[in-house]
Amino acid sequence: MDLLPDDEEREIAESVATFLADRFPVSKVRETFGAPSAVDAEFWKNAADLGWFGLGLDESLGGAGYGLAQQALLFREVGRYLTPGPLIASVLAARLAARTGHQQVAAGILGGEQPVGLLVRRSEPDDAPDTGPSADRAVSGRFDLLDGEGASHVLLVEPDRSALLETAALGPTTPIRCADDAARLAEVALTGAPVVAALAESTDALYRRALVLTSAMLTGIAEATRDMTAEHAKTREQFGKPIGVNQAVKHRCADMAVRTEAAWSQLLHAALAADDDVPDAAFQVASARIVAAEAAIHNARDAIQLHGGMGYTFECDAHLYLKRAHLLEHAFGDTRAHLRAILEATTPD
Amino acid sequence: MNLDFSVEERAFRDEARTWLRENYPDTPRPEGGAAMREYDTQWQRRQYEGGWAGVAWPVEYGGRGASLLQQMIWYEEYAKTGARDLDSCFVGLYHAGPTLMARASEEQRAFHLAPILRGDVVWCQGFSEPGAGSDLAGLRTSAELDGDELVVTGQKLWTSFADIADYQELLVRTDRNGSRHQGLTWVVCDMRSPGITVRPIETIEHSSHFCEVFYDEVRIPVHNVVGGLGNGWSVAMSTLSFERGTSFAVGQVQLASLLEEVIALAAEVTGPDGRRPALADDEMARELATARAEVAALRSMMYASVSRNARLPQPGPEGSMIKLYFSELRQRVCRLAMEILGAQGWRWQPVHGKAWYHEYLLSYAMTIGGGTSEIQRNIIGERVLGLPR
Repeated sequence: MDLLPDDEEREIAESVATFLADRFPVSKVRETFGAPSAVDAEFWKNAADLGWFGLGLDESLGGAGYGLAQQALLFREVGRYLTPGPLIASVLAARLAARTGHQQVAAGILGGEQPVGLLVRRSEPDDAPDTGPSADRAVSGRFDLLDGEGASHVLLVEPDRSALLETAALGPTTPIRCADDAARLAEVALTGAPVVAALAESTDALYRRALVLTSAMLTGIAEATRDMTAEHAKTREQFGKPIGVNQAVKHRCADMAVRTEAAWSQLLHAALAADDDVPDAAFQVASARIVAAEAAIHNARDAIQLHGGMGYTFECDAHLYLKRAHLLEHAFGDTRAHLRAILEATTPD
Repeated sequence: MNLDFSVEERAFRDEARTWLRENYPDTPRPEGGAAMREYDTQWQRRQYEGGWAGVAWPVEYGGRGASLLQQMIWYEEYAKTGARDLDSCFVGLYHAGPTLMARASEEQRAFHLAPILRGDVVWCQGFSEPGAGSDLAGLRTSAELDGDELVVTGQKLWTSFADIADYQELLVRTDRNGSRHQGLTWVVCDMRSPGITVRPIETIEHSSHFCEVFYDEVRIPVHNVVGGLGNGWSVAMSTLSFERGTSFAVGQVQLASLLEEVIALAAEVTGPDGRRPALADDEMARELATARAEVAALRSMMYASVSRNARLPQPGPEGSMIKLYFSELRQRVCRLAMEILGAQGWRWQPVHGKAWYHEYLLSYAMTIGGGTSEIQRNIIGERVLGLPR
């Protein structure tokens, strides 16, 4: 048992961080806010060339053959740098396409030519039922579409199955402004929209993988907000001394560090548990999602608060992390659903 | 990154589990005094005879010399039997013993270590004072050199098990002129020495292993000094490197099992609507589920800590994060139990199979003992995040 990354694994994470710091720092993320698409085509292609989209895919399917934990290291950096665009959906869609024999679709995603948008079901009381035993049943209901601009396909990830649809099959979508400026949002109603390919969760646990990668991004957000706040507490002076001298500030920063450590440790445990498909994997993954969202949102809140008036400005990055954390909180099942799953799970050994 | 335990580690776990199941006493532990001492030391002796005493102690001192992962496995299995780690043998095994190994003379080690391991002796700690709690270096109990003896006068506080201990690791001021951290001396004090008065302090849950100790010109041979006169601060700190991430291994398992009891309690006790069980209440279910996720994270933090310490020559300040997370979480879980019980909770006698109020009060000790939550936050702020003092 060794929960922490070894030297080679740390190098993967560091190369991702270096690439993002160099090519897509948060200052550049801000430049995408007014753009029609959240995807910067050149960046997307570069990321593909670095093997990001196939990192966790078997080599026989065109991937690099790493595990979910190594993928989590990548997505932690994506969270830390607020990288825009549907990265989780694209990674999972490439996997789904490759595993269902849709090699051409997979190749387009893996090569960075085709980003894949994310369909998120909105729970409405009068929705037509969309259940059934078959994973590739048609899709009905009302949905939010995240980052679907310019995407040839969209992905639906639900607890029992994941499905890939052609964007053309959605029919008309209505754009709406997303609270997270880095994301593009539209709404769409579907009635029996056909799927291109689908996998039952019992065949390949894409929902579980989505939650691990989400937790990784949330952990990256928790770390980024912890670090920017600690830095501010060291350098911002009031009453002739750094504000971090004061325990009211210092202790709040300490709590940020503790929450982050909990999220990071549980993330690694969950990623490894999911990859090994151990009996309590679902419980470990849901727990990771809960503590990571708490760390990200609470830390982002503290970052805004401890930056004072600056923290409330658009110029300070703290709110970008808060908004991204809230977006991720609802991307794959909401907190209440995960808490319910945790309580219903069998006790870990 | 992997969760795999080797064949040897799995065999170690099976062996530990089987031995503990067959050997942990099935009689209840007496609440205090000589009977409790007898219970604790007998259990220690049984572990010694079974080859399980001092899993973290090196083989050369009679310990098991287990790897860090094996130690963690042992503590997990130990906790699952219901055994407690903070009994009267704790200071000897986890604090005084390791200090002696690191800093004592050959002769001192030969004299003291084996009896600790065998459960022949009980040790207590004499560090805190009325004026020196979190600020330990401010301690004032003085020791004057008189020939080949130290003459100790002063007072120690919060000395668990002083009433039944044979020896004390005692930190005294031998020089009032140096800086606060200099001029301290770590010395072995025989608790039967003339001039020592032990007065138990009643705690909020009515126990009294917690004592204050008065020293009235107590004479201690100079050869009982460990690490040399004036080096007491560094001697006292030397156990920090012995602690390699497993401190809360037992506490973590105990908390996980306590939380499962609380969840079972919530399924059993009628909730605020007077009809359905407390667990059917959305808010309560949410709190309990969150606690379950956090208990899982606590375990993962310990795994991460053990993984980190296996790489490092010296453990870092990360242990403070586990201590803070654990103790605050334990307090919250106990508070949830009180909420579930409602007015039944104020009964001192066990209800629904457990003395819940007692458990609840005990959780208040954990955010204070071993460094308060506030001190832990200072350590995390300054040593983990690098904030200014």
